[in-house]
Amino acid sequence: MSKWLFKGLQTGIKTTRYPAQNEHAPGVTPGLPLGGSYNEEQTRTLARCPAGAFSRRDHELILDYRRCIHCFRCYRGVAGPVNWQSGFEWASATGPINGHMQMDQAFEHSIHILVVDAGDCGACLNEVKQLDNPFYNMHRLGFFITPTPRQADVMLVVGPVTDHMRTPLQKAFDAMPTPRRVIAAGACALSGGVFGPSFVCGAGLRDLIPVDVEVPGCPPPPLAILHALLVAVGRKPSSGLIPSIPHLREKEANTL
Amino acid sequence: MISSAVALQLFFWLCLAGIILPIFISERQAPRMLAWLASIASMAILWIGGNLLLTQDSLHISLWTLPELGTLEISADRISSVFLMAAGLVFLPVSIFSSGYLKRYLGRYSLRRFSALFFGLFASIVLVLVAGDTLLFLLAWESMSILSYLLVNFEYKVSKHTRAGYLMLAMGEAGTLAVAVALLLLAVATGGLGFSVLKTASRGLGDGMRWAVFLLSFFGFGVKAGLVPFNSWLPRAHPVAPGNVSALLSGVILNLGLYGIVRINIDLLPMTLAGTGLVTLIVGTMSAFIGILYATTENDLKVMLAHSSIENMGIITADLGAGFVFTAYGHPVLATMAFVAALYHMINHSIYKGLLFLGAATVDSEVGTRDLDLLGGLIRRMPWTALFFLAGALSIAALPPFNGFVSEWLTLQTMLRCAELGSRSVKIVFALCGAGLALTAALAVTCFMKAFAMGFLGKARSSRVEHPVHEKRSMMVPMGILATLCLLLGVLPTMVIPTLDKALTPVTGASAYEALVPPFFAGSSEHDQLPNDFMSEFHDLGAQVGQEFLPLKGLVVLHRGGVQNPVVFAMSTTYMFLVLIGLIGLVYIIVRIGVARYRRVVRQPCWDGGIRRLLPEMTYTARGFSNPVRVIFDAILRPKTVEDSRETVAEHFRFAIHRQYKIVYIVDSLVGRPLNRIGFKISNGLAALHHGRINAYVAYGLITLIIAMMIVLL
Amino acid sequence: MVRVSLNEQSWSCEIEVSPDQLVEVCGWLSTKLGYRFAGLIVEEQRSEWELYYVFCGDTEAGLVHVLVRQALVNVTFPSISARIHAADWHEREAEDLFGLTFKGHPRLGDFLLHNDRWQENLCPMRRSFDGHKPVIERKPELNWRPRRIVKDPGAFAMPIGPIYSGVTESVHFLLETVGEDVIRTIPRLFYKYRAIEKIAEGRHVNDVLLLVERIAATTAFSHALAFCQAVESICRVQVPQRAMVLRRFLAELERFRHHVGAIREICESTALIVAANQMSILEEELLRLTCAFTGHRYLFGLTIPGGLSRTIEDKACQETLDKTHRILRTLGKLEKMLYASSSFLDRLEEVGIVSAVNAGKYGLVGPVTRASGHSCDLRKDRPYSGYDTCAFDVPCELEGDGYARLRVLFAEVYQAVRIMEQALSALRDGPVLAPTMEMRSGAALGWAETPRGATFHWLRLDDDGRVVRFHPITPSFVNWHGFHLAAEKFAFQDFPIILATFDLSVAENDR
Repeated sequence: MSKWLFKGLQTGIKTTRYPAQNEHAPGVTPGLPLGGSYNEEQTRTLARCPAGAFSRRDHELILDYRRCIHCFRCYRGVAGPVNWQSGFEWASATGPINGHMQMDQAFEHSIHILVVDAGDCGACLNEVKQLDNPFYNMHRLGFFITPTPRQADVMLVVGPVTDHMRTPLQKAFDAMPTPRRVIAAGACALSGGVFGPSFVCGAGLRDLIPVDVEVPGCPPPPLAILHALLVAVGRKPSSGLIPSIPHLREKEANTL
Repeated sequence: MISSAVALQLFFWLCLAGIILPIFISERQAPRMLAWLASIASMAILWIGGNLLLTQDSLHISLWTLPELGTLEISADRISSVFLMAAGLVFLPVSIFSSGYLKRYLGRYSLRRFSALFFGLFASIVLVLVAGDTLLFLLAWESMSILSYLLVNFEYKVSKHTRAGYLMLAMGEAGTLAVAVALLLLAVATGGLGFSVLKTASRGLGDGMRWAVFLLSFFGFGVKAGLVPFNSWLPRAHPVAPGNVSALLSGVILNLGLYGIVRINIDLLPMTLAGTGLVTLIVGTMSAFIGILYATTENDLKVMLAHSSIENMGIITADLGAGFVFTAYGHPVLATMAFVAALYHMINHSIYKGLLFLGAATVDSEVGTRDLDLLGGLIRRMPWTALFFLAGALSIAALPPFNGFVSEWLTLQTMLRCAELGSRSVKIVFALCGAGLALTAALAVTCFMKAFAMGFLGKARSSRVEHPVHEKRSMMVPMGILATLCLLLGVLPTMVIPTLDKALTPVTGASAYEALVPPFFAGSSEHDQLPNDFMSEFHDLGAQVGQEFLPLKGLVVLHRGGVQNPVVFAMSTTYMFLVLIGLIGLVYIIVRIGVARYRRVVRQPCWDGGIRRLLPEMTYTARGFSNPVRVIFDAILRPKTVEDSRETVAEHFRFAIHRQYKIVYIVDSLVGRPLNRIGFKISNGLAALHHGRINAYVAYGLITLIIAMMIVLL
Repeated sequence: MVRVSLNEQSWSCEIEVSPDQLVEVCGWLSTKLGYRFAGLIVEEQRSEWELYYVFCGDTEAGLVHVLVRQALVNVTFPSISARIHAADWHEREAEDLFGLTFKGHPRLGDFLLHNDRWQENLCPMRRSFDGHKPVIERKPELNWRPRRIVKDPGAFAMPIGPIYSGVTESVHFLLETVGEDVIRTIPRLFYKYRAIEKIAEGRHVNDVLLLVERIAATTAFSHALAFCQAVESICRVQVPQRAMVLRRFLAELERFRHHVGAIREICESTALIVAANQMSILEEELLRLTCAFTGHRYLFGLTIPGGLSRTIEDKACQETLDKTHRILRTLGKLEKMLYASSSFLDRLEEVGIVSAVNAGKYGLVGPVTRASGHSCDLRKDRPYSGYDTCAFDVPCELEGDGYARLRVLFAEVYQAVRIMEQALSALRDGPVLAPTMEMRSGAALGWAETPRGATFHWLRLDDDGRVVRFHPITPSFVNWHGFHLAAEKFAFQDFPIILATFDLSVAENDR
């Protein structure tokens, strides 16, 4: 048993300094495509995206980050690849951060997270599992995972909402005491991804329960999910990558 | 003021009325009449008991004188009055309960017969307790046995019931025979039948005679009290009786066995042999342990309560045994302490066992089943029954501030005082028995937690439990009375202990009161049992606060070990109760004022992992809850596997795994069955004599005649 | 009448039988000739049902399809589950999705589509059902109760899930117990049913490739590889040599990372937190290595029909291999430390035993079956992508308990790195994508040995390259069926450990 103790000490500190400093190590994020000015080549980009994430407005190529599934078809093996950003701070709040979106001061440095798998392929869930490894160590930021919604402040949902998981998801949300926040992580939770909508999958979590923070990606890397958690408690500003849409959150806030 | 003698006469007239009146009234009116008459009769008994205990009144009546056999006397001393109080405290609620409960037998069985038997039983019980000489005692005892058999057998149409009743009668008769022989041995040795004669003349008896009397009477009264290894009848008879009769059986009639042991070994033939005391102690501990073990693994509410009665009787017997050993070694104060603990536990047991049996009877009559695996969620449908049952369960599990805690505490403290005895082997026996009693206390908590939780909490496990239930006031009020008594007896131990002490001092010659309940240390802090420096420390702690207005000598039960063992043991359920009330009140105020203003409380179904609905089969069963106990004590319980098969279709589709096992009562397998076998062997051997040939029978007669003539002539 | 046709190129054979001969022929293949049942593929053609029963033998024996045809109106087929236990769940799935009845199967009914959400005759895989529209009319069975096996008076069933524990996939268990140890556990799966097979129909192959990668994204590359090989087989495309070598390199890199994650799960389940954290350091390093090497942490979007989607330099491969060696050395030290931790081994040894006989009967695949004595690995039995040119061992253990499965995982990691080294030295210059790719209609079976076990992808395309029928037979589907063998008669505390050593993916099973 003592061997393990020394092994731990020997390994040293691997933890990233984020959010105090930005993290630049290679391989922490796959990056995301960027919109840009619209020209002849971009027509081909529009057509190439299988998820329909690109759209055109005047002379601008606009990217709907909810739909990007990291297939790299706009980037690999093409003559005019789209611009690429390699950050990871992608989380967007769906409503104003101040006012009703911000949780009490008490929650800023200590929240309990319920992770619900609503049909995810395994990638998003695996990235959430990495949040507890020595590189990211979310415990130092006061984030803890709890198995029961009764003690959860934040619900982190991954996966397109499959039909069989609708009831458990709704029950889990109802069982959480207020104040509560919902984070939808991954393209499937935001828009159904490649799977939805169909007779078993929805078109995103928003149709079922109110969502407060959205993180795009397929899968969003652990640092992006960490950023989303920080946005949810108000320690980091929303990235604004995804334009907010009024939704049930307002209605719920008014009835509280 | 009515004297005890007048009250006793009134009581017997009421019983007579209760036996004769049913002839003139209809079936429908019988329960009401029974309730009224029996309530007044119980109050008369309580009056007698109270009178004898608290005032200087005494009860001595001489009845008829029979030639050659002496006078039939009625004489009740303070010990009888304690037992009378216990009987009255149980009879009163049971009578009130009967008015509502007996309606379920309308049309099926004769309620008039019930009423007659009930009053007959009441009268014979009281007669046993106030009998002053051997003959009256034995007559009353026998009639009590037979009448209780008839009441147990009230539902005679069910063959299982008649078998159980018959077993009870048979073993009871064997016990009565042994008691009769013991008392007659004593009478022959001392030359008289009256108890006072026996008492004065018994001092000169030799050891052999003492052992004989002790063993016979212990066996005889032990059968009635339900001690191992003669209690095969108890788990069978108590559950089959009607609900209110079960409460009487456990709450009153088992006490009569203890009364016999107490009367003979404390009063008539005071203990001088430590060996007999040790036998009592060991038998008591074993009964306690086996009783609670089978109770924990039992699923039927009434059978579980019956086994629990065995446990409590065992604890009381162990206390008595400890007292006997202390008497034999010449520590009268310690002996009185042990007897106080025994009597206290006996009263407590009568009350909370009566309460629990009435609760079980209510559940049985409203829901129709007693199987814990089929009950569940009753707290929503029968809230009052649940509340009172909870009070009874907390009491029997010996949790403060209820009465069970006080008597359990006194019991274990008495066991600890064995340090003052000289012999090491006796101390080891005491230590082992004390550990055994502690183990039973722990198992009792498990047992009654299971009973309450599986029966009243959680989800309804069968459709029978789901329809709404009407709680009759006539059945709730008696349970409420008993529950309140549980609380009172627990919270005011310093009122009960002096009363019991007063009852015991005349027979043991010493008082434990000063040793157990020190007065509020006022002023001079002088106390004959406790040293001065110890007292002044308590004085400095402020222990004398409140002595002006508090009516008792103190609210703390405290005693100090001997010179070699100067440790102080103290406990006060009164203060515990006050603190508990204070804390609950404080929390309530904080929540109301501090929290409820900012937060809203929402009630929601239990979180179940997100499945569509939580089914009752997904919650713990009673059998599952007690399974760890079953596994740990497997060597004693030895469950026999009845079925363990797998049903498979097409070789790998597992359809069902059938498992069933049966637990055989260890007393049956170790004592009952072997005795049966021996009995059969003997009778089979003797049957060889009955081969039907007339010539041989004539020869038998001739041989017997010749032998008789030879004896007379020689 | 039985019709046999051989295909020497793909070393496979098709036996067409009539329905009443089906059970006998399948039984003969399984018991007499020793073939393993790999899967059942149901196709609704224009006027008849086509059922392919796929049997897989070793290298010499090849692949056998037993084909049964029946008119569309006749939906009753004989069940082979009584003889071949491995077919049980395949037949149940076909009953739920297509509405076929398998006579002789005693357990049809609530399986894939939960009866308390859907009516019995939904049959979503039939052509007449439109998978894109939500189902308006629903008649769920509201009184549905889970099936109980243990008939003991005091037995009850503890429910776990679908939302339970910390970060876990959604699956529901009922642990039947009488209070001491668990007698039987029945998992209720398909809470994550995404109907991949249905939504794939009508989509172009390139779009279905995106679905295939996301069947179980921790083994995305292997599934995509199997799928691409099926497409290449249909379109008769020859993948250039450099692409085949790089595909091997990347597949083994994925295997390394996946196995490190599996070992981390085992350490976490036994609560040896320091070891679990050490393993998660290695897993994160491998994920970052993969991302720096290929652009995505889970190898998405790399393999496409005809080769790879982007070039990869030799230098990058060499750097990756160096870093992999460094990680392997650390892993070796951790392995020694784990084997010396007796409290850790106590929880794995003799826990969750799957006997060799049962592994064979249920047709289990992957490290689970290799730990029970069956040395089957598609890379050796039916080599693809040039694996026959590689020299490597298939590690095999005999005990079948959790410890054996752990040892197999470690040993496979070493073999994976060995293959990576050989791939690097076999790398030659050349294109990574076939020059032309012409879509053809046809049907083929593609396969690969994913880190969890053997997977088969059945694909039928039309002339435009659109998918007509896609049916993946995933290793988790097969292994979940056999999970209850290991999880019978154990204590509550052992349950998560047995689950972790099986390394099952619910997403892969539910599709």
